[in-house]
Amino acid sequence: MNLLDEKRPAPPSHPSPSARTTTALRDLGLGIRFAAAGGREGWTRTLLTAIGVGLGVTLLLLASSIPHMLDARSARSAARSVSDTSGIQPPASGTTVLRLDTSSDYRGQEIDGYLMRAEGANPVLPPGVGRFPAPGEMVVSPALRELLDSPDGELLRERLPYEITGTIDDAGLRAPNDLLYYAGSDTLTRDQGARRVSDYGRAGKSEPLQPVLVVLLVMVCVVLLIPVGIFIATAVRFGGDRRDRRLAALRLVGVDIRSTRRIAAGEALFGSLLGLLAGAGFFLIARQFADLVEIRGIMAFPGDLVPAPWLAALVVVAVPLTAVLVTLGAMRSVVIEPLGVVRRGRERGRRLWWRLPVPLLGLGVLGLTGRVTETEPVEPYPIALGAVLVLVGLALLLPWLVEACVNRLRGGPVPWQLATRRLQLDSGAASRAVSGVTVAVAGAIALQMLFAATSADFERATGLDTSKAQFEASSVNITGENAAAAVAKLRATSGVEAVTGSVTVDASRPGDYGSDDVRPSTTLTIGTCDTLRELARIGACADGDTFVAHPTDQESAKWVDKTARKGGSVQVGETSGTAPLLWTLPADSPTVQVRPDELGGEHEGIMATPGAMGTVTVRGATFQALIRVDETVPDVAEYVRNTAARLDPGMELFAWEEIEQDRQYADIRTGLMVGATLVLLVIAASMLVSQLEQLRERRRLLSALAAFGTRRATLGWSVLWQTAVPVTLGLTVAVAGGLGLGWTLTWMISKSVADWWVFWPMLGAGGTLIMLVTLVSLPPLWRLMRQDGLRTE
Amino acid sequence: MIPEASLLAAHDLRKTYGSTPALDGASFSVHPGEVVAVMGPSGSGKSTLLHCLAGIITPDSGTITYAGRELSAMPDAERSALRRSDFGFVFQFGQLVPELTCLENVALPLRLDGVKRKAAERTAREWMERLEVDGLGAQRPGEVSGGQGQRVAVARALAGSPKVIFADEPTGALDSLNGERVMELLTQAARTTNAAVVLVTHEARVAAYSDRDVTVRDGRARDLEHSA
Repeated sequence: MNLLDEKRPAPPSHPSPSARTTTALRDLGLGIRFAAAGGREGWTRTLLTAIGVGLGVTLLLLASSIPHMLDARSARSAARSVSDTSGIQPPASGTTVLRLDTSSDYRGQEIDGYLMRAEGANPVLPPGVGRFPAPGEMVVSPALRELLDSPDGELLRERLPYEITGTIDDAGLRAPNDLLYYAGSDTLTRDQGARRVSDYGRAGKSEPLQPVLVVLLVMVCVVLLIPVGIFIATAVRFGGDRRDRRLAALRLVGVDIRSTRRIAAGEALFGSLLGLLAGAGFFLIARQFADLVEIRGIMAFPGDLVPAPWLAALVVVAVPLTAVLVTLGAMRSVVIEPLGVVRRGRERGRRLWWRLPVPLLGLGVLGLTGRVTETEPVEPYPIALGAVLVLVGLALLLPWLVEACVNRLRGGPVPWQLATRRLQLDSGAASRAVSGVTVAVAGAIALQMLFAATSADFERATGLDTSKAQFEASSVNITGENAAAAVAKLRATSGVEAVTGSVTVDASRPGDYGSDDVRPSTTLTIGTCDTLRELARIGACADGDTFVAHPTDQESAKWVDKTARKGGSVQVGETSGTAPLLWTLPADSPTVQVRPDELGGEHEGIMATPGAMGTVTVRGATFQALIRVDETVPDVAEYVRNTAARLDPGMELFAWEEIEQDRQYADIRTGLMVGATLVLLVIAASMLVSQLEQLRERRRLLSALAAFGTRRATLGWSVLWQTAVPVTLGLTVAVAGGLGLGWTLTWMISKSVADWWVFWPMLGAGGTLIMLVTLVSLPPLWRLMRQDGLRTE
Repeated sequence: MIPEASLLAAHDLRKTYGSTPALDGASFSVHPGEVVAVMGPSGSGKSTLLHCLAGIITPDSGTITYAGRELSAMPDAERSALRRSDFGFVFQFGQLVPELTCLENVALPLRLDGVKRKAAERTAREWMERLEVDGLGAQRPGEVSGGQGQRVAVARALAGSPKVIFADEPTGALDSLNGERVMELLTQAARTTNAAVVLVTHEARVAAYSDRDVTVRDGRARDLEHSA
């Protein structure tokens, strides 16, 4: 018997399931090996995918850390809070502290601050503070210390004339950029507005989000995260052309089509796993810098950025799965033959029939979810599902629209022809690159429509006329005789144009009144003649004069006269706990008519110049001043705040605003801005990588075109059109889809569309993106046009 | 020394890539209507010489004169304009723009030189007919054979009525039959239009279509006419 006589086993006609699994695993492993050890070209592709996926994963991990970050911030905020709703203050003890809120603003930033006086030997300490500040000393947050040490903090240093003796550590801060101080005092009293504190961490319950805000929040998440998902799906296709050519070489040595797909899947799997690792790495690096980088006022402690475990697990599973599915889907349009790669012809064109129902289904889901009421809790998941379907549907419609439109483009100058012909040959890559922009813009339009429709609910017109005054000051520590001096000091402040200030105090008719009787009462306003003239139609006036000011309403005027009896006594100031202070209204006090002040209010009652009150000290009197400034003077607000702090550290100074915004609403808007900035950067990066990859693929052709004299401008314009045509179509889809989604969501919250033109800024952003990508593509384009690409040896 | 009446001539060209000399004192000349084959082994500097002659790259030293004008002293924009108007190119792999149809590819040099689309395409059609590819006007390069694509590339090189055609291994990617047909058509068309052809090749079979050979070895061109 020789070798020829040996009977070979017949190959199995149908491989067993275990054999199939082994083959599949072998192919996957081969793909992973190609990705890991495929030489420079293989590595470049793997690296591109890993960086792209990594960037997307970083954003997803950052997003999944937001719940923990918000919880940690509110926990620390609650830990340093003393507010409770009972209003009952504890009795003085060895541990109690008197605390006066001296918070203010500085150049648009909030400065939280407290003046504190220990009532005993062991005063309770706020979180993050190691030692109670002695009188004249303060402990500050690191950010405030940095600000005060910098030239920028020069004006603020005037306001905080305390010696810095300590730093508040992280446990006492909401975020690293918190500007907070605790200053010591030995003169602070409850009369000055201070409250007694026996412990910290008594925050009231935080308000649940209103249903409309839930809708807004869901939309913000959907709008920001879908483009990231699309970006990841785009990233796993980076370098696909080169991979296909490599697979063709494998076909030549006998690999079948199924195996090539599995090998490609293996490569994608490796790239995405590397991307996951890269993303985790980027996230850890970004996390370390979280307390150094501020994005639109938001900063976080590294320790706060902890991804929610189930969200992180979802990312870990979904990203490789998406990579494999996208790769297999992409390979359906390619035939990899042993002698090369053939793009499957698109004779039939892309089909609309299965694309159109997706966004319509999304609108249907939103419609079926029904209207959101103000009282009932809202279910976020159907809203998220509906919005996802609409936005993903738009991304699916885009390739069809781009193909349908570019196929109709004819003629034009050479750059236009080069660009449109390129898009006609393969519009898929361009559509994929633009789909992120489309989804982001459509979502942003819908959100802007929602914001515009709901702004009336969350933005209140204050009715304050900021052309008459920009600040309102109030203090319980400035008494009648000091009011004129306080007004003079405010008036002498740089940039201040006018000040009207007065001291008001309750005034009532003395005598005993039964529990069912109403004691006649009015207001006693103490101010200079000029001040009083701002409030009433007063003619002749000198220090020592008094007046009875009647309101427009005659019934109210009678009520004023019941208290303000000329020649009679009036009980003024706080009456609780002390003997009532009686003061006689001079009999010759003329009756005058009130004049509406800048607030639109009427100050009826008794009006007295400081001389009329003599040396009487009135308890419970409040100094109030309206301040008009020249807003062209730089830092005028800070000069006013500094004067106010010098007059009384506890003086409350409100900057008048014509529109007041709900805090939660404002936070969601800020969150959208932060997210949109990051997403737009990622989209720009994605488009740029796709563009550069295309250019690199055409290196030899570009060199040839340059050889026969093609101008740089010709190819530059061609690149611009190649970006601009799909982006313009993408924006068209985005505007139509965004308006549709926005209308539906507005209907859901029972509002009407306030502004149909909200998309203009988005179109501007899209235009900027086109210019940016084109401009950044030009230097590599010029480089690739050099003759090196012509060398074949 | 530059021979008289030459259309394009180079003298003592030197070009170095990093520390590797590509041209080391190469000289060359070509007359109107003349087909000159530049031969030599791989890496000898043939393509670099062609790129210098065509004004695609500038030599480190030496002079190139085209129609009495100093090419090496021209700014890039002027050299590009000259390539558009006076030169035609055929490369080894055709280098047709894949997204344009064959007709649009042939018309491209004319359009780049400012000729209106219809006029450019009319001229392109005539040249495609002469190069026996007139039925491929609406096809894209990816849809035609290598030989057909190379003939389209030759048509493109000739469409702008160039005074000099630079052909860098024009048959390098073709079988012998197709290669010979391309060379026949290229040289015939060049002679008809009195265009000079600078033909870079390492195949004697292709060089046989030329009037004269120039050998490049180690960056030095042995141009017998030039040294005469």
